Amino acid sequence: MFIETRDLKKSYGEGGSFVQVLKGISIKINKGEMCVIQGTSGSGKSTLLNCIGGLDDIDSGNVSVAGTFVEGLKGEKLSDYRRANLGFIFQFYNLVPNLTVRENIQVCEYLTKEPLNMDELIDVLGLTEHQHKFPSQLSGGQQQRCAIARALVKNPKVLLCDEPTGALDSKTSRDILVLLEKINKQYGTTMLIVTHNNSIKNMVDHVIYLKDGEIYKDYINETKVPASELEDL
Amino acid sequence: MGWILFKRALRDLKTGFARYIALSLLIIFSLFIVISLMAAADTVIDTTEISDRELCCEDGEFSVFVPLRDEELKKITDHGVTVEKMFYADYEINENQVLRAFKVRESINKISLIEGTLPISDSEAVIERRYSEVNNVLIGDKITIGEKEFTVTGIGATPDYNTVIKKISDTVVDSRYFGLIFITPEAYDELYASGCSLASEEYYYAYLLNDVMSEDELKEILEDNTFDVDDVDDEYFKEYWNRMTERKDELLDGIDELKDGADELADGAEELRDGIDEFHEGMTDLHDAVPDLTDGIEALDEGAAELESGVKAYTSAVDQIESGASELSDGAAQLASGASELNSGAAQYGEGVNELSGTVGVMAQSEDPYIAGVAAGFVDPVTALATGYGQIQSGIAGVDSGAAALSAGAYQLYSGIKTLNSNSAALRYGAAALHAGTTELKEGAAEFAEGIDELYDGSKEIKDGSSDLAKGARELSDGVNEFSDEANDLIDEVFNIDLSNLRIFMTKADNPRIDSAADDVQINYSASIIFGILLVVLFAYVISVFIVHTIDQESAVIGALYSMGVKRRTLTLSYVAVPVIVTFISGIIGTLIAVYTPAGIPAQLQDTLGYFSMPKLDIIVKPFILIYGLAIPPVTAFIVNVLVVRNRLVRTPLSLLHNEQKAVRGKELKIKGMKFIPMFRLRQIMREIRAGLTVIFGLFMSLLIALMAINTSVYCSNVKNSYIDLTKYEYMYTYKYPTEEVPEGGYEAVAEGFKKEIYGYTFDVTVLGITKDNPFFDTGDLPDNDSDVVLSSSVANKYNLTVGDIFTLSNDKGERLYAFRVARITDYTASMFVFMDIDRCRDMFNEDDDYFNVVFSDHPLDIDGGRLYSTVSKEEIARSSGVYVEMMAPMVTTMSVASAVVFLVVMYLMVKMMIDRSAFNISLVKVFGFRNREVRKMYLDGNFYIVAIGALISIPLCKLIMDYIYPRYLVSNVGVGVTADYPPVLFAAIFAVIIVLYLAINFVLTGRIRNIKPAEVLKNRE
Ligand SMILES: Nc1ncnc2c1ncn2[C@@H]1O[C@H](COP(=O)(O)OP(=O)(O)O)[C@@H](O)[C@H]1O
Ligand SMILES: [Mg+2]
Repeated sequence: MFIETRDLKKSYGEGGSFVQVLKGISIKINKGEMCVIQGTSGSGKSTLLNCIGGLDDIDSGNVSVAGTFVEGLKGEKLSDYRRANLGFIFQFYNLVPNLTVRENIQVCEYLTKEPLNMDELIDVLGLTEHQHKFPSQLSGGQQQRCAIARALVKNPKVLLCDEPTGALDSKTSRDILVLLEKINKQYGTTMLIVTHNNSIKNMVDHVIYLKDGEIYKDYINETKVPASELEDL
Repeated sequence: MGWILFKRALRDLKTGFARYIALSLLIIFSLFIVISLMAAADTVIDTTEISDRELCCEDGEFSVFVPLRDEELKKITDHGVTVEKMFYADYEINENQVLRAFKVRESINKISLIEGTLPISDSEAVIERRYSEVNNVLIGDKITIGEKEFTVTGIGATPDYNTVIKKISDTVVDSRYFGLIFITPEAYDELYASGCSLASEEYYYAYLLNDVMSEDELKEILEDNTFDVDDVDDEYFKEYWNRMTERKDELLDGIDELKDGADELADGAEELRDGIDEFHEGMTDLHDAVPDLTDGIEALDEGAAELESGVKAYTSAVDQIESGASELSDGAAQLASGASELNSGAAQYGEGVNELSGTVGVMAQSEDPYIAGVAAGFVDPVTALATGYGQIQSGIAGVDSGAAALSAGAYQLYSGIKTLNSNSAALRYGAAALHAGTTELKEGAAEFAEGIDELYDGSKEIKDGSSDLAKGARELSDGVNEFSDEANDLIDEVFNIDLSNLRIFMTKADNPRIDSAADDVQINYSASIIFGILLVVLFAYVISVFIVHTIDQESAVIGALYSMGVKRRTLTLSYVAVPVIVTFISGIIGTLIAVYTPAGIPAQLQDTLGYFSMPKLDIIVKPFILIYGLAIPPVTAFIVNVLVVRNRLVRTPLSLLHNEQKAVRGKELKIKGMKFIPMFRLRQIMREIRAGLTVIFGLFMSLLIALMAINTSVYCSNVKNSYIDLTKYEYMYTYKYPTEEVPEGGYEAVAEGFKKEIYGYTFDVTVLGITKDNPFFDTGDLPDNDSDVVLSSSVANKYNLTVGDIFTLSNDKGERLYAFRVARITDYTASMFVFMDIDRCRDMFNEDDDYFNVVFSDHPLDIDGGRLYSTVSKEEIARSSGVYVEMMAPMVTTMSVASAVVFLVVMYLMVKMMIDRSAFNISLVKVFGFRNREVRKMYLDGNFYIVAIGALISIPLCKLIMDYIYPRYLVSNVGVGVTADYPPVLFAAIFAVIIVLYLAINFVLTGRIRNIKPAEVLKNRE
């Protein structure tokens, strides 16, 4: 299995403020799959994603990504794991404000020995005419595309997206999703997309539905529709 | 991606260009000053070292009373020590200036020419550079000394007068009034011979040990040289010497006289004894002759009887009788004169006895117990003598009257016989009378014999007594002789007038004239190194606050980059790049300005050149200084920022992504009963504690610099004021050769000089014995025991002494230690005086009861200059203490302004940054409807408390630090114990200035708060 969690548990706080966020999550995701993690706000989606991405430590259980057991990693090793395997996309883009689009992408280009072709990537993401602009000069969608490019440039095995369209209008959201779909096809990147939007599940291979820190549904979507045809975004 | 992030850093730099320029200017200025000071110090120190070597700076010098004899010189030079004469004489020129003339040096302390040439002809001269600069004496100018005119051919400096002070004890150079002139040996001799010098020539020699012996060994050799007083030229020395030796001679003469008196007494007693012996012999003769006399008288009586019976045969024997009577008359007259002589002999004897008795009486009253004892032995015999004499006298009186009667009888007889011729009846009557007369004579003679017997006994007694007297007197004389021998030894000891020819011996290290510039700048060097680093730390820290601000702003971005595997080190380096670049470039610029512009090293050198008589200076910039200027700023900035930034970046990617940390701190704080705005303000302070602390740090550093300036200023004006205020006398004359009489109108004092060390520097402390009526020192009643003294506050401050403390002073050679107890401290800082009563002082230092060596007065006294070491006038004191104030003024101003600028910039940047950080919140509260005034209270006024509290802590702290550093490192080589205590109003003023500066910034930034639009909230959130 490419990504696998087994009985993953995670809690925050102590005493009165103690919350059991993940109550034993076991999921399996194949290489090259596009997977949506869906659920209401506060159901633990981001927490699960962070645990897989090695951004948060787990209380118990295992997480393995591309053959690496994430729960045992610390410090530099953890950093190396992320460097070798992961790309992240966030709701609020998190671009370096005083680097241009191209430079923001370049920051991550150097994290790998075999980056994707910059120009091609920029072209694929439709950023060619914006590549010398600073984030503040771009629209939200353009910024998110830049963030995607930055995440992709080192050709990660897994792309982790936390609410990638959360801050965008529906048209722009669709554009972004189309792009992700395209990249999945073009580069075979495994994608985990956290969203509370109910439509996105229709365009992916695998849907995991969280409710109160437990898996409520986990199914393979047989009736995939192209992102461009999604409604109610 | 390194360079990409580097690019980001550069853009950061561009964004915050204004603030970085401001900081950069501060760093440039700091580095510029620091490097200038360091390089200038280095240049001075190195040049001093090099020129000391090249010019053969002495290892030391000594002066003598009488020039060394050739063989004495040879004794030293034969060991391999180099010696050169540095004789000099002072001459007055232009009314009130003094030029000290030297011969051009040959092998030691050679002249470093700044320009021109050494004198070749006898009318050429080299002038010391400081004098030439201050008095604008140029090459080609003429200088007239007495009758002689010199043309200036060169301007120069010598290592032995690096600080051109007239006396070793002078503390301030005043080149306006004192300088050096170097002329050819011939010109020197001629000039001195002309007799126009202010005082006699001083015989100084400079030496180079050449590693062949130690200073002590040389000193020992020199001390062994003695001199002949007659060879000393100094008339005042001679007079003094004579007075001292006269005093000794008088004492010796007194003892000799005493000895002679005792001898004479012994001799007299012996003579008396001899006379008495002779008298006694005569007495014995007389005694022995008495029976013959008696027999003669009896025979006479018989004859008279026969005569009487024979009268009847008158007719035939009348002529016979007449002649017989005549003979008888003669005999009687003879006898009478004999008796009379006897009488006068006895009278003489009587006088002798009287004299003897008188002498013995005097002796008996003598203070010398020995003499009195001897005399007591004499009293009895002398009394016996006197009674004996009484008896003799009455005997002799009887003889005398008898003899007189006899003589009269004989005469009557004679005249009777004469008339006998005409009257035989009368003859018969006469014969009967004659017989009666002889009978009377017979009786008188018997009485006389008795008297003679008595007289004889008395004379025998006198003889024995006088022999005892003679023995006693001889013993006395021996005793006196012994006493005088011992007294002589004692006097020699007391009047141990050193005939060693060595007058002053001073090593290079002890000589305040030598290498003083190098010593002076040493502190600049060390202080600069430290201040440079401290300032860079401050500025680097200020930058780090901005960096932290950026990091906080970009927290989520950093988290995002982390989550994709960008390493912390890479990010750290990218954030540290800005401060490193800024400080590095500023450092380079500062260093370049310091090294290459006249405002840099040359300007700093000017401080040295404007005071010390330096040889030609070539700026030396050592690699260390360049390394310091180029490396210290970036390295310091790197270290400071890495420490700060790393701490900031050590968080997990997740917490960075959520930018958690900040919010937590403010929330926790909740104080019950506190109103909303003060509470909010407190939270805001807590939230911005880093910036707040930086403001305090900046305030602290600025204050340190400011207080250094203020301390200097206060110190200098305190010196000046206290010198002027506390110097109540107008003139202080210090004698080299004191006179006996205190000059009219002067107050005498005894000054004994000591040296005492503190913090590695040695100062002159003077024990001053003053009279009770001395109006110039406010000491109160001087203690009347030997150990208690009144301390001047200068001594108390310099040596950290308080009332009750015991302190010691030891004399030059350290062989005598004097311990004193501080009975009182009097406010006097113009000199380092230890006051005591003049008589106690004289006792303590074994001086005569009327000795003095200092005279104070309120008007000029007429004292010969050659008699004096120095004359100090109040005017001179005011002038020289003012030199400090003038000298320090530019530095004080520069530092005060610099510190204010540092504070302003740091505070402005920090407060502005606080506002920027809160811009979002500010617009938010504005949206809620808070008014500008309230917003200002919430976000800006908290800083008032930070600044106020910071100032309240920093001012005393900095003052303490400065007060610690100041006397130890900054003015420690100046021998005055003046403090830099501030009047309270000055503290208040400093505080007020800080608050005013704060308010100015507050005013500017209030505008900034006003300009934050409520709409910004919307802009900031996408
Ligand atoms: N760092 C944290 N400390 C405490 N509680 C947390 C923390 N992160 C998330 N939680 C809690 O965990 C739960 C799940 O959060 P999250 O995974 O972000 O939900 P979702 O992404 O599904 O909206 C929420 O109830 C949230 O309050
Ligand atoms: Mg979430």
